[in-house]
Amino acid sequence: MFLEKEIFKEFEDIVGVGNIDDGVVITNVYAYNWCMEIFNYMDGKEPIPFSPIPKAVILPSSTEEVQKIVKLCNKYRIQIKIQSTGLGPWNQPSTDNCIIFDMRRMNKIIKIDEKNLYAVIEPYVSGAQLQVETMKYDLTIHMPGAGPMVSPLASATSMNGPGFTSPCTGHSARNVLAVEWVLPDGEVMKLGSYGLKNNSDWFHGDGPGPSLRGIMRGWAGTKSGLGVFTKVAVKLFPYPCSTDFNVKGNSPNYDFDIPDFMKLYVMDCGNFKKLEDVMLGVEEEEISFMCSYLSGFAVMAIFSNSIESLMDKIPIGQMKAPLVVIITARTKREFAYKQKVMDFLLNNFKIENIIGKIYTPKPIFYAEALRSNLGLHGFIATGGFQSSKGVADTAAVCLRSTKSNIPLKQEFIKKEAIANDFGEGTWMTSYESGHYFHMESPTMFDQTEESSVKGMAEYMEKSNQLDLLKHLGAPFFVEGTRMHELFGPYMSNYHIWLRKIKETFDPNNISDSGFYISPQNK
Amino acid sequence: MNEQEYNQMIKRCLRCSICKWIPQLQIKSQKYATICPSIDMYNFHAYSAGGRIIIALALEMGRLKPSKDLMDIVYKCTECGACAVTCKFLNTLEPLEIIVKLREKLVSLGYGPMPEQKQYIESIKNNNNPYNEPHEKRMGWLPSDIKNDPDAKTLYFVGCTSSYRRKEIAIASARVMNAANYPFKILKQKEYCCGSPILRTGDKKPFIDQVNKNIDVIEKEGIETVVFSCAGCYNTFKVDYPLERDCNFKVLHTTELFNELIENSKLELDNQVLHTVTYHDPCHLGRNSEPYEEWDGEALQMMPFISINIPEKPKRSGANGIYDSPRNLLNKIPGLNFIEMERIKEYSYCCGAGGGVKSAFPEFALKTAKTRIEEAEDTGAEIITSACPFCSTNLKDGIIEKGSSLSFYDISELILMALSSQPKSVKELSKGVT
Repeated sequence: MFLEKEIFKEFEDIVGVGNIDDGVVITNVYAYNWCMEIFNYMDGKEPIPFSPIPKAVILPSSTEEVQKIVKLCNKYRIQIKIQSTGLGPWNQPSTDNCIIFDMRRMNKIIKIDEKNLYAVIEPYVSGAQLQVETMKYDLTIHMPGAGPMVSPLASATSMNGPGFTSPCTGHSARNVLAVEWVLPDGEVMKLGSYGLKNNSDWFHGDGPGPSLRGIMRGWAGTKSGLGVFTKVAVKLFPYPCSTDFNVKGNSPNYDFDIPDFMKLYVMDCGNFKKLEDVMLGVEEEEISFMCSYLSGFAVMAIFSNSIESLMDKIPIGQMKAPLVVIITARTKREFAYKQKVMDFLLNNFKIENIIGKIYTPKPIFYAEALRSNLGLHGFIATGGFQSSKGVADTAAVCLRSTKSNIPLKQEFIKKEAIANDFGEGTWMTSYESGHYFHMESPTMFDQTEESSVKGMAEYMEKSNQLDLLKHLGAPFFVEGTRMHELFGPYMSNYHIWLRKIKETFDPNNISDSGFYISPQNK
Repeated sequence: MNEQEYNQMIKRCLRCSICKWIPQLQIKSQKYATICPSIDMYNFHAYSAGGRIIIALALEMGRLKPSKDLMDIVYKCTECGACAVTCKFLNTLEPLEIIVKLREKLVSLGYGPMPEQKQYIESIKNNNNPYNEPHEKRMGWLPSDIKNDPDAKTLYFVGCTSSYRRKEIAIASARVMNAANYPFKILKQKEYCCGSPILRTGDKKPFIDQVNKNIDVIEKEGIETVVFSCAGCYNTFKVDYPLERDCNFKVLHTTELFNELIENSKLELDNQVLHTVTYHDPCHLGRNSEPYEEWDGEALQMMPFISINIPEKPKRSGANGIYDSPRNLLNKIPGLNFIEMERIKEYSYCCGAGGGVKSAFPEFALKTAKTRIEEAEDTGAEIITSACPFCSTNLKDGIIEKGSSLSFYDISELILMALSSQPKSVKELSKGVT
């Protein structure tokens, strides 16, 4: 399992003493991740939260070091798995012939171009770090729903990254511009305008020639299955309101000065058809900062910071089809316009905003919305939480998937395998003012109980089958050979092309394919 | 934390890395976004709270066995508790308590404390202080002109560091109390180490011996209030002693007492102290000084996997640390320009000395101190102040090592400067202090 002494020394010569470790303690720690027990069980293994143990963990500090390490891995046919901030099973190796790159030492914000609206970052810059630096220019970033502590580079290059602000900031896959990419053979590929011979810059992700962004990440990202991303340019957006961000008091009971031009609407649309109409109506007007369907249970969760405070919001949880909208503005006039539009829509659809009438959230909710911290509330009920594959499609298809999923979820709730969210635990958001939509089914389980882990895994498998049998559209999140081969035949046989990319760009199969696609016959 | 809670919690880490950052909503810059000195120094995930929780789980599952390498990682932690504050913004894990219990388990298996820590524990057993200094010299700090009242019901518990290493803090604290005509007594040869340096290493038994020694004396002397200028002693008496034995006396830190004295017009600050000053929150006075509240409720299962505590179980979140008293004092000093660092109060960055780190891993302690000094420098302050002799020692070391132009003064020294009866300049004040 460990590296041979001489090979270890070769790696150590690249990164320096103290920046590689193949000891049993460090490598075991890196074998752990959240929800690994589910993925193990789905692969027919023991449902424990540990993946195969890596041979070593290495901490590169520059692109040059990454190149040298990758070339050495090619020489010794050792696979690589890359972690930035490291949340989730996708960071885990699938074999024990693997070295984990922890990108912690590559943590620089290279550039914030406030005129051309992009920032260039290294892998270990967190979303919160980048956002707070861009706020100094009255700008912000897209943040994935996973939260502000994760890496925007990882999300943009290797994952999907829908978030609560997706109506106005899209999703991570749509925010990636130029990229510096160490290919699985150790060569550096510069994507887009960064590759220009003269006056290279980071403002664009394509050209000249065929777009390589599709190769690099496609729809769902390769999850470290195709080399190492060392720098990326991501889009910046105007900050939605005043950047005065004054959090007062002490954790966890913080108070916050709500910006003048920010307003929350929570409306019960009553049924899914009306929900679709209202969501499309709001998004057609291009006024929302946030526009999410959340189940009643999830609405309770985003307003709570503990299980006890969640339970005292049960009246909110009884809403049938809640829609959560936030509008923001930079000027009084813009705010007045957006409020007028919302008033018109509420009147038109005969629905009411419960905020200020039935419920008034604590001001800190608004701070969490602005800093994209709301996704983390999914963990407060049981501590365990994972999502189904979900759908990225029209609002109608997303809601069809939501409806189809309810009886399935209720079946597993009845078996007491997963927690009871009334079967309706779904999150749906618009992307880019309703051009398309995202849906997934976050589900709570107990990772400390084997029966719950197994039940959760079975529910996820059946949810995938449901997508296929009912033709519920393209899943927003697919990982691993088995899943790609399951969905591929229903979707243009994309898995065949994905495999060709893997084989061409990674001839020695150096990048761990556990959450991407394996090359044929290997 | 009992065994059952420990075994449940170590299975629940999300590996989200939130324990590495200050609370997400408080991040004000990229430079000062991190919170954990250990991961900042050593980089591998194992050196974070989350990493140590995984180690605890791997040990219980038999995937890992106690070893020197494992011990090294578990002990390269200042136990500053910042991870617990940031994790508990939404979560219910207790990362600091898990680390403490993990150390206790290692000690019980014969793998701790670290050799340097064992040496100071021996010194405490033999000399009643961790510095290997003779017990009979404990009162060496006490100038003849300081009045102490053998009949007072208030005890000034000086602590080992102020008695032997940071005498200026003991002197200043006593002089301020004298200036307010606040009567206090000193235990002299009957004062023993509070036990904090032992407790943090996970060596519980000799700690309990210190608890008993100190409480026995305090009870025998009929003490009603114990005042501390050391945040570490204060924290240990306030938070840890009651877990081992009933304490029938009140505890106060000097910053709380001095505030009271000013509020009651017993102290008048009328000297100008014309300096720009920033304040470092000691972990033991701030986030870790919340006592455990008794909870006699029950967990009510609402539905499978979801239960709630009735009444709600008190969460030690760091919110109720001593934050206002030192700030009030600084704001009351005439002419003093008080300016905050970015990481403050419950998300203050540790000085780097605690948890046995200063003795076992001095290079780690020093690097952390330099990080904190740089943050203080970035405020534009000339002076960094705090309210803990152990922070004082490490931050002063950091200033020297970094070649910083900052000066360090304990808050009691600044108060003393602001008293009309006392020397006006900081240089004059520190004259003769070694």
